[in-house]
Amino acid sequence: MNRDSLVRELRQIVGDEYVLVEKEDVIVYEQDGSIMQVLPEVVVLPGSTEQVAGVVRAARRANVPIVPRGSGTGLAGGAVPAEGGVVISLARMNRVLECDLRNRIAVVEPGVINLDVTKAVAAGGFFFAPDPSSQAACSIGGNIANNSGGPHTLAYGVTTNHVIEIEVVLDDGRVVWLGGRAPDPPGYDLCGAFVGSEGTLGIVTKAVLRLMRSRESVRTLLAIFDRMDAATQTVVDITGAGIVPAALEMMDRLTIEAVETGAPVGYPRDADAVLLVELEGVRESTERGARVVQEICVRRGARGVRVAQDDAERLRLWKGRKGAFGALGALAPNYYVQDGVVPRSRLPEIMRQIADISARYHLRIANVFHAGDGNLHPNILFDIRIPGELDKVIAAGEEILRACVAAGGSITGEHGIGLEKKAYIGMLFSDVDLDAMAKVRKVFDPDGRFNPAKMFPTPITCAEMRRAPAKIPAGLWI
Amino acid sequence: MTIDADRLANRLEGALGSAVQRDPATLRAHAVDGLVPHIRCAPEDTSQLSAALRICGESGAAVIPWGGGTAMHWGNPPTHADVVVSLERLNRLVEHDDANLTATVQAGMSVAPLQDLLAARRQFLAIDPPDPRHSTIGGTVAANINGPRRLAYGGVRDLVIGMKMVLASGEPIKAGGKVVKNVAGYDMCKLFVGSLGTLGIITEVTFKMAPLPETFGTIVARGSLAQAAHLIDALFASALTPAAVTVVGGDVATAAGLEAAEASLAIWAEGFEEAVARHVRDIQTMAGQLGLATEMLDGVAHHRVWETVRDFGADGASPAVFRVSVPLAAVTGVLAVALGVTAGRPLRYVAHAGTGTVWLALDDPGLVAAWFPRLVALAQEYHGHAVLVAAPPAVKQTVDVWGPPPQALALMQELKRQFDPRGVLNPGRFVARI
Ligand SMILES: Cc1cc2nc3c(=O)[nH]c(=O)nc-3n(C[C@H](O)[C@H](O)[C@H](O)COP(=O)(O)OP(=O)(O)OC[C@H]3O[C@@H](n4cnc5c(N)ncnc54)[C@H](O)[C@@H]3O)c2cc1C
Repeated sequence: MNRDSLVRELRQIVGDEYVLVEKEDVIVYEQDGSIMQVLPEVVVLPGSTEQVAGVVRAARRANVPIVPRGSGTGLAGGAVPAEGGVVISLARMNRVLECDLRNRIAVVEPGVINLDVTKAVAAGGFFFAPDPSSQAACSIGGNIANNSGGPHTLAYGVTTNHVIEIEVVLDDGRVVWLGGRAPDPPGYDLCGAFVGSEGTLGIVTKAVLRLMRSRESVRTLLAIFDRMDAATQTVVDITGAGIVPAALEMMDRLTIEAVETGAPVGYPRDADAVLLVELEGVRESTERGARVVQEICVRRGARGVRVAQDDAERLRLWKGRKGAFGALGALAPNYYVQDGVVPRSRLPEIMRQIADISARYHLRIANVFHAGDGNLHPNILFDIRIPGELDKVIAAGEEILRACVAAGGSITGEHGIGLEKKAYIGMLFSDVDLDAMAKVRKVFDPDGRFNPAKMFPTPITCAEMRRAPAKIPAGLWI
Repeated sequence: MTIDADRLANRLEGALGSAVQRDPATLRAHAVDGLVPHIRCAPEDTSQLSAALRICGESGAAVIPWGGGTAMHWGNPPTHADVVVSLERLNRLVEHDDANLTATVQAGMSVAPLQDLLAARRQFLAIDPPDPRHSTIGGTVAANINGPRRLAYGGVRDLVIGMKMVLASGEPIKAGGKVVKNVAGYDMCKLFVGSLGTLGIITEVTFKMAPLPETFGTIVARGSLAQAAHLIDALFASALTPAAVTVVGGDVATAAGLEAAEASLAIWAEGFEEAVARHVRDIQTMAGQLGLATEMLDGVAHHRVWETVRDFGADGASPAVFRVSVPLAAVTGVLAVALGVTAGRPLRYVAHAGTGTVWLALDDPGLVAAWFPRLVALAQEYHGHAVLVAAPPAVKQTVDVWGPPPQALALMQELKRQFDPRGVLNPGRFVARI
């Protein structure tokens, strides 16, 4: 491309201070939460839909790729400019435009931080249900692109279930609204297809979010198990008993060790698994639900079950879970998190398989995950300074994903394919299946300008890709 | 395009054997908006279905996918209807993984027998389509048929997690899977939910299940529409979590076995005994304070109310049926305006206050021409839309039943072109006659 003329044009559209080209400015945008790094050529920070459209048109004229970026917390390299071009950061478009509580919707710009939506409506008795553990930092645009989940999406559903309409800028700079504020808008559900498309179909510039009424009562239980098998079987039993908790989270022995070393909360170090269960609803439902869950835990041999009696105790029970990710640093300099999913009925066996993979690769794996929906987060511990270690880690990660697929699951439950797993998507989909997705791509982005080299297998990656551990901002957990 | 029906039938017979029918009575029973097909066939598996679609595609024959035939009144009249492809032989429950709260079902299976099998393991599919003995899984998903409990359980798009389909080219594809969280690749399921058979034929669907509730009941509150609106506001301001909140009016109340009233608000509560009791208590108190009379229904009376609601507009009893979709808070306002416009003419309605879906039925199809544009305009005031769901073919010919084209029509037309370049699947029936 003729970079100078493009940069000049971009400056005219968004203003000089919002076009970054110097290395010390763009280096902040070379990575997300994954291990992939590529230095961007140009970073633009538009302040409005019209500016986004202008930037898209300019990039198209210059025939360069466009990479949308929210807060850069993605774990699959989605916001990394693998093939160069223009990185469009939506961070400045961070206004909550409208909260319409009677209709239970909020209209926001894409750069709004996830947690800020709930903060804006909490006083009115509402919340935005998708709550990724990164919610203090990640953006709504990133959530939409990745169809993000969180601990409480077990009961309430993931991002796609809570986004009803989006304004998007298409590859030619056209601005269209997809979906609708009322249910079942006539025509194909393009909003539904766009959510989870990882920035490959266009740029979200506004979103209409569904809000939920805050629940009257919350009950939180923590159960300690001597055997992982008993804990996973408890998850299966809870689901089988017709209880749908708001959250159902699990930690294994190595995670417990990390927590007790890094940020102790008083878990017995010899326990094999900790299960955290949260029920939400009307008081009568959560009370009975908590009793049933407690009985199941005891029947499955839980060593102890603690039921939070008040909010303070509830936060204490969550503290270990929320601190787990950060505490892993106490065990090893680096960790690599995978995101496979299995049917809940297959949890006991997949945990045994992961233990087996860990033994075979001589790699320690700490599991801290959304057990209730079968979404695993095996954290493979390693030291990147040891030559060859990272490759071994990636090979072990791949084997875990193969085991998930063999169990009827998927290679990613919430983090996305991005750069990281694009070579693995064939484990799930045939060429014909992928070709059908390519048709959708053609509808929105015939030239493949948006986020090239993501999601789908590509033979080559042009830019040089470095690998280094990401710096995760404080206050996030996994 | 005129097709050589004899030659086409021969080719289909070659691929499908005896499952190809041409007797006039059968064909007449499969007319779509008065258009009688030339051939009906019923493939026994995906590979026969692929073969049938390939053959139809080669001869340019218009294909009408057919489930139970309970939602054939949806959509614009097709421009052509050559071959009805019935899914009746793909009618098995493939897997009920109750410990995973999921089930995989073939498209031609009817909803009622499915629910019976699921109930044996204390679960159910939280979609309540009309006429569940005949309506099929594939048809329900393709037409995006939602019932009253969408408020609590989500809609079809929320409950479908995996799908298999055969494209117009005959190629079988799959989307999603059987895990409740899955972000691998584009969410292709969303495109097929509500696509009315215009992108491909759905052969198998995997759903999230819900546990059968311990108990259930319905509180009915009777009064004026304004009083019902106040009760709805009070209910949604509370922390209660009802499964359905529905206003019925006109003679629908009588059909549902309720005393006549200007408006009857039916609230479905389900779950643990004590939680349902709490809903009954609180709602009766709220209703009492607002001056509405209440009664509590369970067992047969409960079922009668919700079956009436469920089947409303789909039972062929009303010559003209509209669906007006609006944001939640607009529901009773839309009803009030609609009642004002009819000015005394019989109007029957079922309005789901928790999801923003208002169903209206008129006895005189002659009113559609005047009414539909007004409903469209009314819905648009609230960022909503109105659809003419059922009307005699002659009336449907005069309008686009889906209302004005969506803003993203160009993308939708391109999507259709990508998936069905020859336009053989349900030609003309979808938005803007796609
Ligand atoms: C500590 C930690 C914990 C996490 N926990 C969770 C969790 O619990 N659940 C979960 O699901 N994820 C989790 N994540 C992953 C990540 O936070 C989510 O994927 C999040 O939604 C990304 O948002 P972001 O704003 O940071 O997006 P980015 O990383 O900036 O971008 C992510 C993708 O979205 C695209 N994109 C961004 N904005 C737009 C837009 N406006 N229009 C179109 N495309 C856009 C990008 O191109 C990229 O492909 C975690 C990450 C970290 C670091």
